[in-house]
Amino acid sequence: MSATLSQPVRSKISVKDLNFYYGKFHALKGINLEIPENKVTAFIGPSGCGKSTLLRTFNRMFELYPEQRAEGTIALDGENLLTSKQDVALIRAKVGMVFQKPTPFPMSIYDNIAFGVKLFENLSASDMDDRVEWALKKAALWTEVRDKLQQSGSGLSGGQQQRLCIARGIAIKPEVLLLDEPCSALDPISTAKIEELIAELKSEYTVVIVTHNMQQAARCSDYTAYMYLGDLIEFGATEQMFFKPQRKETEDYITGRFG
Amino acid sequence: MTEKHLSSQFDSELNGVSSRVMELGGMVESQIHQAVYALAQFDPEAADRVMETEHRVNAMEIEIDRELSSIIARRQPTARDLRLLIAISKTTANLERVGDEANKIARMVKSIIESGSARALPSTDLRIAADMASGLLRKALDAFARLDTAAALSILKDDDLIDKEFDGFVRKLVTYMMEDPRTISASLDLLFLAKAIERIGDHAKNIAEFIIYIVKGADVRHTSMNDIEAALQ
Repeated sequence: MSATLSQPVRSKISVKDLNFYYGKFHALKGINLEIPENKVTAFIGPSGCGKSTLLRTFNRMFELYPEQRAEGTIALDGENLLTSKQDVALIRAKVGMVFQKPTPFPMSIYDNIAFGVKLFENLSASDMDDRVEWALKKAALWTEVRDKLQQSGSGLSGGQQQRLCIARGIAIKPEVLLLDEPCSALDPISTAKIEELIAELKSEYTVVIVTHNMQQAARCSDYTAYMYLGDLIEFGATEQMFFKPQRKETEDYITGRFG
Repeated sequence: MTEKHLSSQFDSELNGVSSRVMELGGMVESQIHQAVYALAQFDPEAADRVMETEHRVNAMEIEIDRELSSIIARRQPTARDLRLLIAISKTTANLERVGDEANKIARMVKSIIESGSARALPSTDLRIAADMASGLLRKALDAFARLDTAAALSILKDDDLIDKEFDGFVRKLVTYMMEDPRTISASLDLLFLAKAIERIGDHAKNIAEFIIYIVKGADVRHTSMNDIEAALQ
């Protein structure tokens, strides 16, 4: 099914007739979706519905695996990412991603952030210091790590590691930030900090978040897409989706009648 | 609620609070019946029974609100569960107000009896209107229990009849008062009684509107009948 936005919002990523296959398994079935710019869009749905798969097509993460293929169009500001001749690393610089489990590099907190920046920009030492501080401040981690920037990133708590990964993601100034279950391994305090951060980030970035936690989608997204068995069932303003969804399937899922 | 949640505990909490609303509705209905009986028979004991029920109604209102807060805090209801709980909260408040109106009628009947002018009043019209209003409340509670939007719509229409009845009754009282100023005091008592009855009809109408809100997600308060019918399509 297709979904359009009721309000005139500029779309950042435009998905048209997207089909995705894991070998012979048809994981995404004709998805049509507009991801609004500078908004938070959440994908919800039961395990195996294709929400993470859809998210991973946005920066061609699937290309790491030869048996996976995508057909259709995923246009980022009008350019089809699937047929783009652009270096995939450049695409991923524009479309950053944070994973479910914190994945700090085995290096210092400072280098965790500087590493990605060095791949794309040639900054002076003091500019790099500024960029690291900026990213850590954006990710609400600066005050906690300012005195131990040279210590290993893996010495941080889970919540801090995840915010470090977000800081790393935004340090290269992407246009879109993809978050795949960013809070599922975190305690409620860290979760609340990351949700705060998501709200803060949307003024500059387009954020797409996959979450199993429906209340999290309700709390921190502007738009919500409900997926089931590879189909996009319903897409709409989050407030509408959680108050009076148009489709019965959506209502059954969000009210916990899905069985 | 036709389909069950994955959490049967959530289902039993929703069913529990819904059935308490029905219990409250039953209490308030019996208050109206006693009040109408007190009015028809000028029976001070029936009026006393209305007032005795008052504190039970109030306690039940508080109990329902406490349960609602607990469900909202613990379950974070969404969609039609959320609408149901909001509607229950408002319905409870409306039922409590109906109880207040019944109480008002009972107090007025007692003061009329004590003033000794009881038999002189032409209260037949009022009893008819009171029966209409209590019938309407009963219909609203039945429709709420079954989440029946067709019945809700017919309640909205019936309330217009009660409002017209009230307007006609006021005009009649005015003619009485103009013809014979000695009836002014008694007529004013009747006017206040009629107003209380008319308010009961309004509360039944509000409850009917909440039923449409639960089922259709449309807020039809302060809306024309045409728009309401469109919302129910």
